[in-house]
Amino acid sequence: MPGSYGKLRDISRRTALSALGAGIIGATVASWPRLSGTDIPGRGDNSLSIAIMGTAADAAARQRVVDAFARVHPEIRIKVQAIQAVDWKDFFTKILTMVAAGTPPDVVYVATEGAQLFAEKLAHPLDEYLRRDAADMREYFSDVHPSLVEAFMYKGSLYQLPIDWNAANMYYNTAALRQAGLDRPADDWTHLDFRATLAAMRKARPSDFTPYYWTNRLFGGVVPWLYANDTSFLKETKAPGGTWLWDTFYASDPSKSLRSGGYQWLEPNADDPRVFESFDYLRGLVKDGLGVRPEEGGGSSLIGLFASNRIGTTPAGGYWVQGLHEAGMGENDFDVQFFPRWRSQRHQFGTAGYAIMKTAKDKDAAWEWVKYTASLDAMRLVFPTPNTTPSRRSMVNEQLYAKTGPKHWKVFYDTLDRFPTTGPIPAPAQQAAVETALMKNVSLAVSGDERQLKQALDSMQRDLELALRRHA
Amino acid sequence: MTAQTTALPSKRRQAAGPGHPVSIPGRERQRWLPWAFLAPTILGMGLFTLLPIVASVLLAFFRWDIISAPQFVGLDNFVEAAQDPTVRVSFVNTLVFVALAVSLQLGLALALAILIQERLPSWLRVFFRSAFFFPLILSAASVSIFMRYLFNEQFGVVNWLLSLVGIPAVPWLTTPTGSAAVVILVYVWQNFGFSFLLFIGGLASIPVETYEAASLDGATGWRKHLHVTLPLLSPTTLVASVMAIINALQVFDQPYVLTRGGPGDSTRTAVMVIFESAFQRLEFGQASAIGVILTLIIMAITAAQFRLSKRFVFYQ
Repeated sequence: MPGSYGKLRDISRRTALSALGAGIIGATVASWPRLSGTDIPGRGDNSLSIAIMGTAADAAARQRVVDAFARVHPEIRIKVQAIQAVDWKDFFTKILTMVAAGTPPDVVYVATEGAQLFAEKLAHPLDEYLRRDAADMREYFSDVHPSLVEAFMYKGSLYQLPIDWNAANMYYNTAALRQAGLDRPADDWTHLDFRATLAAMRKARPSDFTPYYWTNRLFGGVVPWLYANDTSFLKETKAPGGTWLWDTFYASDPSKSLRSGGYQWLEPNADDPRVFESFDYLRGLVKDGLGVRPEEGGGSSLIGLFASNRIGTTPAGGYWVQGLHEAGMGENDFDVQFFPRWRSQRHQFGTAGYAIMKTAKDKDAAWEWVKYTASLDAMRLVFPTPNTTPSRRSMVNEQLYAKTGPKHWKVFYDTLDRFPTTGPIPAPAQQAAVETALMKNVSLAVSGDERQLKQALDSMQRDLELALRRHA
Repeated sequence: MTAQTTALPSKRRQAAGPGHPVSIPGRERQRWLPWAFLAPTILGMGLFTLLPIVASVLLAFFRWDIISAPQFVGLDNFVEAAQDPTVRVSFVNTLVFVALAVSLQLGLALALAILIQERLPSWLRVFFRSAFFFPLILSAASVSIFMRYLFNEQFGVVNWLLSLVGIPAVPWLTTPTGSAAVVILVYVWQNFGFSFLLFIGGLASIPVETYEAASLDGATGWRKHLHVTLPLLSPTTLVASVMAIINALQVFDQPYVLTRGGPGDSTRTAVMVIFESAFQRLEFGQASAIGVILTLIIMAITAAQFRLSKRFVFYQ
C-alpha cells in the first residue's frame, strides 16, 4: 500500500487536468453522431420535410393539416420546418443555404417570386403525377382559375399547384372617400379618375394624411401601373408547350387559347415609352403631394397606418383583410376596387404552392402531400380566415368575409374572371438580381424632374440587361 | 515561458529531493502542455477563421452557385467585378462613408470625452459613459428598423418635430442625400460610444503635471488641448481610428435595413454587394472576389495608417 500511495502522489495537477481534457474530447467525439445527425429535422428518419416561410406559430397552424394528412396517409411522416424571413427573397436565400449545407427540405412552399428559380434549378415537375392522377385532379383544376396555374408553368411543365394568391387591387378608406364627397369608384375607373379621387382626398384632408401610399417592391409597387398601361419593365413572352395540361383540365375554358407553356422574361423593357409614361404618372402623384415617394420594402407599417385612417388608398391583395380586421377596422371602414384602367385593366398577381425538390428522397410521398394540400378539405383547414385569397374559387365566398368585410370581396376573384390576361409578378429565374435592378431605380425615377426620370430608366435598362445576363 | 520553467520545477525539485534533477518526462510534459492549452484556440481559429479565408480566396477563382459543381474561371470574377458599375459605385460609397462617418465618430467621441472628463462630476461621468456605450450593445438591425420609423417622411417623429418649428417634411430615406445622411447618423450614433470609451481611457492616462506645466507656460483653454491633449492622446487616436475605419469599411446592417442600398445605388456599400452577389444572386465566386478586393483595401488602409503613425503619433 505505501507503494500505491506513492504512485497516487505522483499524479500531479497537470496530469489530472490533461486526463480531464482527454475525457472531454473523448466524450465529444463519442457524442458526435447525436450532435450532427438526427437533430436535423427530417434527417435520420423517413419523414418528409416541408419548408414554409413563417414562424413556429405558422408551423403549428399547419398541424391540423398534418394531422389530417396522417389520417389519410399514415405511412408518410411529415415534419414542417418554419423558416423566418423578411420576404420571399430572404426565404429563398435560406432554402438555398440549406441546399448548400446538404440538408435540403423535400418540399418547399414557393411564391411566384421564386417559381422560375425553383423550376430552373431545384424543383421536380409534376407532369407525370398529374397525368397519372388526372381523374383525381379534375375537381381541383375545375375550381382554380387557369391564370394561376399558368403562373407555375415553366417551359411546358407544371411545377406547383396554386394554393393561395393575391392580386394587386386597390384598397380605399371609406371615410376618406366620404370626406372627399365621393362615391365608390366605378369598376372601370381610369388612372385619371384615380388621380382626381386622390386630389379630392387631399383637398378634404390637407395634412397628416396620404391619399396614395405605395411601396417600392416587386408586388404592388410600380408593376401594377405598368400592367394597367399594357407594358412591363421586362419583355413578356410565353413558352410553347403545356397543351396536354390545358387539354386535359381546361378543355372547355373560354380563356384556353390564351394559355401557354409558361411565362418568359428574357429581355429588359425599361426603355419602352409606355414605361416612361407610367413612371411619369407616378412622378406626378409624388410631385403634387398625392402619393408618397416609395420606400423599399416598407410594407410592414402599412396596415397600422391604413387602419388609423392616415392613408386614403393603397394597392394590396386579399391577404390584407384579416390584418385590417385585427387592427380594428370594421367591415364598412374599408373596401376594395379593381385597379384603375389605363390602356388595359390587366392586374398583377402573385400566387404560391408547394414545389417538390429534385433532391426529395421520396417524390411519390411528396406528391401525395402536394395533392392533399390542394384538396378542398385541406385548404379549408389552412385558410379559416381571409389572411390570403385561396386559389379555389369556391372558397372565396361570403362566409369567408362575413366577419371582416370588405363589402365588395367579390372583386378578389372577379379580377381573374373579368381580366383573363391578368398576369403574375414578372420573376424570371434571376429574380433577385432583377428585383434589385428594378427597385433601386424606382425612387430616383419618381422623385425628380423628367431628366432624372429618363436617367433612372436608362440605368434600369442597363441594370436589367446585366441581371438577365447573369446565371440564375 | 521563462517564469513557468523556473517556478514550476522548484516544487518538483522539493518533491524529488535536493540535488535530484527534474525527470525527462516532466520536461516533455512542460514542452507540450502550453500547446495543449492553446490547441482549442488554434483549432477554432483554424476552422472558423483561417479555413474560411483560404476557401474564400480560392472560391474567387471559381464560378459557383451552390447547386452546380464549381467551375474554374481564373480571374474572370475579378474582371467582372471591376467592370460592374454597381460594384464600383459601392466601393466609392463605402470610402465616402468611411471618410464622413469615421471623422464624425472620432470628432464627436473626442469632444464629448474631453467635455465629460473635464466638466462633469464623477457620478455624472459614469452615467454618460454607460449612456454613450449603450447603443453599441443593441442589435444594429433592430436599431435600424426603429430609426426607419423615426425618419419616415410622412409619419416619422423626426419630421413631426421639425414641423413644430415650421420646417417642411424632409424626404430622409427616399433621396440620395437624405438617405446617406440618415445612414451615417444612425451608424455614428450607434458606434461612437466605443471610441468615446477609448478616449476617456486615454485622457485618464495623461499626467496632470503635464497640464500644470502647460498652465505655468501660459497655455489656457483650447491651446492646452491642442498642444497637450491631442499629442498625448495620439496613440489612443491611432487605435480608435484603425478600429473605426476597419469597422466602417464593413458597414452593412444600417444601409441594408434603412434603405436597401437605395435610392439608386446611393447607399449601397461593398459588403452589401458581397451579400447580394452571394446570397441573392448565388454568385459565390464573384462575392468572394469582391471580398478579397475589400480585404486588400482594408489591409492597405491599415498599413498606411501605421506608416503615417510614425510621423504623427507621439508616445510618452
